[in-house]
Amino acid sequence: MALDIDRYAHIESQLQTWDPRYKIFSLFLFIIIVALLKTLPLAVVALFLALTLLKLAQLPLYFVSQGLKWVVLFLLPFLLILPLSHPGDAAFRIFGLGFAWEGFRLAIIIIIKAISIVITSYAIFGTARFDVSMIALRHLKCPTVFVQMLLFTYRYLFVFMDEMKRMDTAMKARGFIKKADRATLTILGNFVGTLLVRSFERTERIYKAMLSKGYQGELHSLVVFQSNTADLQKMGVTLIITALLIGLDLGGPFSTAEQNWF
Amino acid sequence: MHVADGILSGPVLAVGFAGTVAAAAYTLRKVDLEDIPKISVITSAFFVASFIHIPIGVTSLHLILNGLVGIILGVRAFPAILLGIVLQAILFGHGGVSVIGVNALMLGGGALCAYGVWQLRHRITLFTLDQNKNSIAFAGLAGATGIITSGFVLALALFTTGEAFWAMAGVAFAVHIPLMLIEGAVAATCVAFLLRIKPEILAGYQAMPPKKDKPTPDGETRS
Amino acid sequence: MKNTAIAVDNAFFSYPDGHEVLQGISCSIKPGEKVALIGPNGAGKSTFMSLLNGVSLPTSGAIHIAGMPVIKENLIRIRRKVGIVFQDPDDQLFCPTAFDDVAFGPLNLGLPKDEIELRVKEALTTVGLEGFEERSSFHLSFGERKRLALASVLSYQPDILVFDEPSTNMDPLNRRRLIEWLQQSDKTILLCTHDLDIALEVCSRCLVLSEGSFKEDGSAKDILHDRKLLEHYNLELPLALMTHELLTEKLRTGQMDEEHRQIIASFLHAHRHSHGAEGHEHVHIHFHDHEHEHLHEEVADQHFHDPKGAHHDHSHESEFIQHSHDESTTHTHDHHSHEASHKHGSKK
Repeated sequence: MALDIDRYAHIESQLQTWDPRYKIFSLFLFIIIVALLKTLPLAVVALFLALTLLKLAQLPLYFVSQGLKWVVLFLLPFLLILPLSHPGDAAFRIFGLGFAWEGFRLAIIIIIKAISIVITSYAIFGTARFDVSMIALRHLKCPTVFVQMLLFTYRYLFVFMDEMKRMDTAMKARGFIKKADRATLTILGNFVGTLLVRSFERTERIYKAMLSKGYQGELHSLVVFQSNTADLQKMGVTLIITALLIGLDLGGPFSTAEQNWF
Repeated sequence: MHVADGILSGPVLAVGFAGTVAAAAYTLRKVDLEDIPKISVITSAFFVASFIHIPIGVTSLHLILNGLVGIILGVRAFPAILLGIVLQAILFGHGGVSVIGVNALMLGGGALCAYGVWQLRHRITLFTLDQNKNSIAFAGLAGATGIITSGFVLALALFTTGEAFWAMAGVAFAVHIPLMLIEGAVAATCVAFLLRIKPEILAGYQAMPPKKDKPTPDGETRS
Repeated sequence: MKNTAIAVDNAFFSYPDGHEVLQGISCSIKPGEKVALIGPNGAGKSTFMSLLNGVSLPTSGAIHIAGMPVIKENLIRIRRKVGIVFQDPDDQLFCPTAFDDVAFGPLNLGLPKDEIELRVKEALTTVGLEGFEERSSFHLSFGERKRLALASVLSYQPDILVFDEPSTNMDPLNRRRLIEWLQQSDKTILLCTHDLDIALEVCSRCLVLSEGSFKEDGSAKDILHDRKLLEHYNLELPLALMTHELLTEKLRTGQMDEEHRQIIASFLHAHRHSHGAEGHEHVHIHFHDHEHEHLHEEVADQHFHDPKGAHHDHSHESEFIQHSHDESTTHTHDHHSHEASHKHGSKK
């Protein structure tokens, strides 16, 4: 499980050089709008736009495939459940249930939109150092306390990942095999308990270390953002495209015409 | 179980964000200096623990543990869950930037309900169990409550999104019933372990009165 | 009081559950002094350390740092003066990048940006991690993290450095670097450790904490050479001295045949010496897995000694046999005399 989202942040590209404050704001709006799209052609356009972002950021496809894999696995059942359960005219019947193309269309749109959003989110957070993105979030009025907690949580994921791997190896070394039975659940309960006890003891030491370094709850950072016209232009282009997407989706020709496609 | 992007309707997403902002603002007010590293580090541990998969037939389930988060962190479970959801969206992209609000309400709400059930152990004793066993029983109930509340919120979100998702809502809720049993069992064994090893990390832990028997100082000193 | 770095006066500390960890400890440490704090597990060493910068406050008694009482009002100033280097670097490196971790202290002091950048650079250079600014601490090796944790304390320039088990889990090279750094540092240093070899090499004074109070306070040489005393506190002689003692015993009783003696002497030295003007003295050991005659001076000694100022006693013969040895007879460290006396020792 690779946790370092920012391993391609050093690449020099249009997205990596984009001021993270503008990037997060613009692409967040884009994501929300994509989530709201209702028509298939525009969902496909959104996917195309997301892939363009990925290309611009020079992020390899396997990097995002980790996230995509889970989304697709999660959404595959939709391809069956939505058509079979859709109220209305059924085109044909399987397992005694009516199969409605409208339900199938909905499922396809959902999958395409989800993939587009995952890719866009990699384009946001895979193109800046994690801490820089977090400081940008603070500039976007995310509470300081929460930003600090995000930074600490991220840092200690790596520590506990290692700890869990060690515990896992130790358990396997003693011949433990996970099964869906009571013994497994008991062992997992103890496993999680051990992890929690260690994390709890660690927080006490970390808090002492933070106090020792003069911590008083503030988040200080030397990260300075400087925006230029290019940053604003990129934001402008993104916002215009986003507005076009939602405008066409709501009032455009697709919404009525599409109903007859299937 | 969290919901993926692209399914829910605009109003549902909006309610999710609004509810999450309100709940986060309320619960973060109770956070003091010491809680900042504590919530963060414990969230890390939970985040990592949720990678644990249990094989069931051809598929596998991963632990969610939101009930346990409530049992450990109490009201501060909400910001902890929100941290987990936001990090998941940032690091893996799925379940996902647009549904941060809904997912946080779903799992965080479950965690808060679990905490409520967990606290009932002080008032109610089940089947004349002793204090320890009663706590473990309530931990199991709390773990199950966390999941079933989330299942209910998820079903509600799907239900309100549109008629096309009604059946989906039913399926989603049904999936949470076996999950509920597994999570309840894991929460109960985990709390049984913690009660033995380090009970003070459980929310609402009432410390025993100070020990009277100090370790006798060994006066033997070398000159 | 003004002239002490750390003054502890009859301090008690007990946990809320009533467990009394420290039962009336007193000590006074002068600026620039290097003190080892040793004692068995659970003796209260960690608690003592957290009292020094006010992370915990004593239940009763007083602590002064550079003449300042450790009370709530002074905590910010106290914490600038006392830097604690934790045992597990992961506890101390809680930021996303090395730069952020090292800058954390100075940032909390509210220093200007240029000053902070300068200090980070200096601190990283001191620990040999130049250019690591952008690296994430979780991608560093354990030795590097340990050094980074030290840098993150050095950057706010404390006068007093407190180390909790600085050498645990360190590989020999990193450990050696740390020892050298500690030896040349002019800060007040308190080493809390079970690694008595490092205590012997670095410290001039030694405190033994056991069952919540200081049981011994004396020169590191006296305490760390006292096998009976150490074993009484569940500690044992430093490895360097143990090997020395063992060899002495074997040679004295004639259990060692000529062949053994030759082999051991060919890669092992134990000799007393003093470091330049400091008059620092201890027994130490060099291990060589190579031809000794030619490499000793170049490889080993440039690491371990000040080549200009070092005065060494090279009578290995007497060193092997006699436990206490006259330090005053010193010879200049000369390749030939060293080799000669060494051979002499092995022929004995």
